[in-house]
Formats: sequence, structure tokens, C-alpha cells
Amino acid sequence: MNTFVLEIWNDECSLCTFYTVRNDDDGVTVRESETDKFFEKYDAIPKFEKATIELLNFVLKAIGEDHGAIDELFNRHENEVDGLPLKGFLILGNTKYNYPNFPLRLFALRITNSIVVLFNGGIKDSDTNQTSSLRMQWKEACSYAKRITEALRNREIIIENNKLKCNTGSDTIYL
Amino acid sequence: MRSKVADRILAKTPKDVEIFIRLHADITVRVNQLLKEKGYNQKQLAAKLDKSPSEINKWLKGDHNFTLKSIAKLQAELGDIILYVPKRKAFSNAGTQCANFTVYHNEPVNTNVQFHKFETHKVISNNPLQKNAI
Repeated sequence: MNTFVLEIWNDECSLCTFYTVRNDDDGVTVRESETDKFFEKYDAIPKFEKATIELLNFVLKAIGEDHGAIDELFNRHENEVDGLPLKGFLILGNTKYNYPNFPLRLFALRITNSIVVLFNGGIKDSDTNQTSSLRMQWKEACSYAKRITEALRNREIIIENNKLKCNTGSDTIYL
Repeated sequence: MRSKVADRILAKTPKDVEIFIRLHADITVRVNQLLKEKGYNQKQLAAKLDKSPSEINKWLKGDHNFTLKSIAKLQAELGDIILYVPKRKAFSNAGTQCANFTVYHNEPVNTNVQFHKFETHKVISNNPLQKNAI
């Protein structure tokens, strides 16, 4: 796996700081983060625009502002990562809001209730991730998550005031 | 620091969509926490609500079109509030001036179990009675 940068994606929500990853190929850091690539891509496809807006609101409002990264909202465990949104259970009145058939998945690594790393994602068009068109993004997310978890275990990354820091004290984390 | 891409997409969110997503998450969290608290599994809940386990499974998986009635049943069985509708209260000053206030419940105590990938789970709560709970 190439080197990547672990950086803040949003630190202005009251209950959770969101991180993302950016590839660094041959020392040249890609401009767009993996999470921005995901939202940019599916927002531009009319068929998925509504789902993209819903998923973004789920991340920033429901997790970021209302609840934090709690168990109940992270209930799609998919190897090293969790798939977002949560498995739903509710359709109210005549409003069909169907999380079980939600077309998109965004992969995330939950580090604490207030620190989440968001990766890329894709369209869930089959029963399993292995057979879905998002399998590459899922595998990549698992690789990133493994590397981040390892860095936390061996204290290359430390948690300080609900933020991740490099053990040298720097906010920019190259892994 | 905020993603500009996220800001752009968030800016075009219809208000009703934002409300729905937040309400959906609130109810999901609430029902799951109450189920955990009461120690109910789907089969027990089905028996209490006089429904088949497969129907309850549909409720919990999202294949059911929830009505106010089904939420009321769930609320009755779980013995706690799932949805709360605030009330308006009018106050008048010697009958000349009148103001209306919306009355909400007090903020609930946070009883969430804190998740930390690299530490033992601990109960961290603002409730002084639970400070020492592990």
C-alpha cells in the first residue's frame, strides 16, 4: 500500500471529529480526499443525488451533532470497517425511507465515540461486498483501517483531546 | 476545518430531509437502547406485542410501514417515551400581554457506553450516581 495522509475532514461538529485519507503517490499528495471523491462522484449522478444528500446528513447531523459515533449507528460491521448508513428499521407514515435498500455505502473506521475516519465507498448492488461493484473501495478501506489501527497500537498515532496526532506532535499524519 | 465538498452538498439539503434523517436516527437509537435496557430480544418483544417474530423482524429491518399506532404499541411495551411532542403554554401579564412558550422535557442524562477501540469499555456518564459504574 502506498503512503497516505490521515487528515481532518470535519472538526466542527459538536460530538465527533471526522478524519479522511488522501493518497500520496511517489511523494505527490493527491488533491482530493477519498471521502470527498465519494461524495463528489455520487452527488453528480442524478440517480444517487438524493441518497448522497441523505448519507451526508446522516454523517454530519445524526452522528456529528446529535449522537456521536455510538454502537446503535454503527451496526454494519464489514471486517475492519463499518458501512454507513446504519441498518434501518423504520418507515414513518407514507414516507418511504428505506435504509435496508439504501443504494450507497460509505466505509468508516470508528476509533472512539468522538473520532471516526471516513474512507471511500460505492454502490451496494449485490448481497455481499465481495460481489458488489464497491468491492475495490471496501478492500482499500480495510487496508487503510488496518494500517491506522496498527499505528494506534504501536503509538505512531496518539489520541489527544478527541483528536489524532502524530507521535512527533504534528497534526499531519503520514502513514 | 470542513470539507468544501460536504459544505456544498449540505447547503442544498431540503429541510424536511434533514429533519427526517435526524428523527430516524433518534428513534433507532432510542428503541435499541430501550430494548437493550429491558433485555428484550425480538422473540420476547413479539410475544409482548402479540405479533409474529417475523413481523417484528420486519419492523426492525425496515420492511414495515410504521404508523403512529405501532409506535404507540412499542412505546407502551417498552414502558418509556419514544416520541415526545412539545406543548405550547401561554403566559399573560395581568391579562394585558400574552406570550407563548414551548415546553420541552429536561435534557436526558447521557447513559451511553463510551466506545474506545483501544481501551476497555467504560461507562462514562454525567450522572453523578453513575460516576463509578464500570
